Formats: sequence, structure tokens, C-alpha cells
Amino acid sequence: MKKSILSLVALAALTMSANATDFRAEKPAAWTTKNVYNGETPTEKGVQAAINALYGDVAPIDGDIKLKAPKVASNGGAIPVSVKTDIPAKSIAVFQDANPEALVAVFNVVDGSVADYSMKIKMKKSGTITAVVEGKDGKLYSTKLSLEVALGGCEG
Amino acid sequence: MKKLILALASIALMATAAMADAPAAAAPTKVKMKIKAKEKDGVVKAKIAISHNMLTYDQAKKKGKEANFITHVTATAGGKVVYDASTSQFLSKNPLLKFKFNGKKGDELKITYTQLKGEVFFATKKIK
Repeated sequence: MKKSILSLVALAALTMSANATDFRAEKPAAWTTKNVYNGETPTEKGVQAAINALYGDVAPIDGDIKLKAPKVASNGGAIPVSVKTDIPAKSIAVFQDANPEALVAVFNVVDGSVADYSMKIKMKKSGTITAVVEGKDGKLYSTKLSLEVALGGCEG
Repeated sequence: MKKLILALASIALMATAAMADAPAAAAPTKVKMKIKAKEKDGVVKAKIAISHNMLTYDQAKKKGKEANFITHVTATAGGKVVYDASTSQFLSKNPLLKFKFNGKKGDELKITYTQLKGEVFFATKKIK
């Protein structure tokens, strides 16, 4: 049973074109990694586990990544977040520790694009956003940003 | 037991074969999307707003609906992939995405997104 699932995943990954990478098909475990709470307080364990599920057992080092988000978000349903880096990157991933699962999005930095992405995300409560850059040199760089969420965004 | 595994593997193979055929069967649906793309000094700044509920599993449970969110967004221009993002349920409702890439005026920017169950939608816009 396990084998067939594995082969299915492998085949699905193979059928993807070389240019576009579906990180959902390639690393399904990373998307279901739950955040770990210490009582009500989010901890970094879940984020770390998700990073490991996505990029393998590598400890990220601090890098020159510009992660921008408001310090206090009035509406947790739409928090503008932007990530920018000058590091030659293969991919950029954004995590947070306030929602049930840790991973928000993975950007595949394709040739000819600029590593500068903005999006709006949801956060259930105050927490920390972590951006991880997978450099072309094989190293992982990360940076963190804590913010307060006045009104949680996952209640709908 | 072995037979069972073999049978399962063949089912999996058939499933993947079906998946490979899927794009032809489930043609992408054209949708309205707000797209802004402007070129300056060889760099195109693109802003896209997709109308989508982005129901997380939690929200869907409360509303008694099925979860549905965008799982993958790609953009192509001039025959090349210029943006490729795998996304989760935690993008905001009607997500707004901004990105930059090297491109030129007049090219057509095509945004394609896939939602949870595999339906594909697209929209196009000329780069200004």
C-alpha cells in the first residue's frame, strides 16, 4: 500500500514539467505539518518541523532577507506580507505559527523573475512569520518577524 | 498480499495515466481576474487579484461547506514561466499577489491557478 502511494507520488512529480514545480505534489508532508502550541502560545517547533519536511534536515542560517508585514494587523483575514532578497535563490517559503498548519506558500524562483513577492495572508492570532530562502548554493537562509493580530482571520 | 500490492500499483499507474490525460479532459476555464502588469526598464511589475473564497478546513467545517482554496498559481509571459507559487489555505480571501519579472511591453501575461480539487482557471492580460 505504502509502495503504491510512493510510486504515485514519484510519478506525479515526474509528470510535472521542468519549469513549474508543484511543491504540493513534491513535498506533501510539508503542507500538513501542524503547528505546535504550548497551551495557547504558538511555539516554533511546528515551523521548524515544516521547514525540515520541505527542505530536509538543514538548519537555516540568518540571511539578508527583507520580510515586511505590519507590526499590528487590524484584520487577520488579510495581512499584507512581502518577501524580498538579493540572495540567488531557488525557492522561497513563508511559514507562520498562528494557524493550524505552518506552511503558507512556496515560491519557485524561476529564471528571469525577480525574488520579490507580495501576498495577503490569514492569521488566526498573533504570531511569528518565518521566511526561508533556499539559495542556489544549497544553503538555507531565514528571517523572522513577529506581529500582533487584533482580529483573527480564520474564523471567517 | 503481493497480489494486492501489485493490483494497487497498477491502479496507481492507471490513475497517473489518467492524470496525464487530465489537462485535455478538464480544459482550463477562463475567468475574470484583475490583472495589472506594467513594464519599466525591462522589469514587469505584476499585481493580480483573484476572486476566490479561500475556505480553510476550519471555516468550511463551521459553514458546513467543503474546503476550497487555491493550491498553485503560475504566470507565463513570452512562452516562459515567470511566476510559480504553491499556496495553501492561509492566503487571504480574494488573494492579492504581487511579483516582478524580466519581460517586455506587449507580451501577454497568462495567469493560471489550480484549486484544491484540481480545477484549473486562467486569465490573460497584455503587459503595458
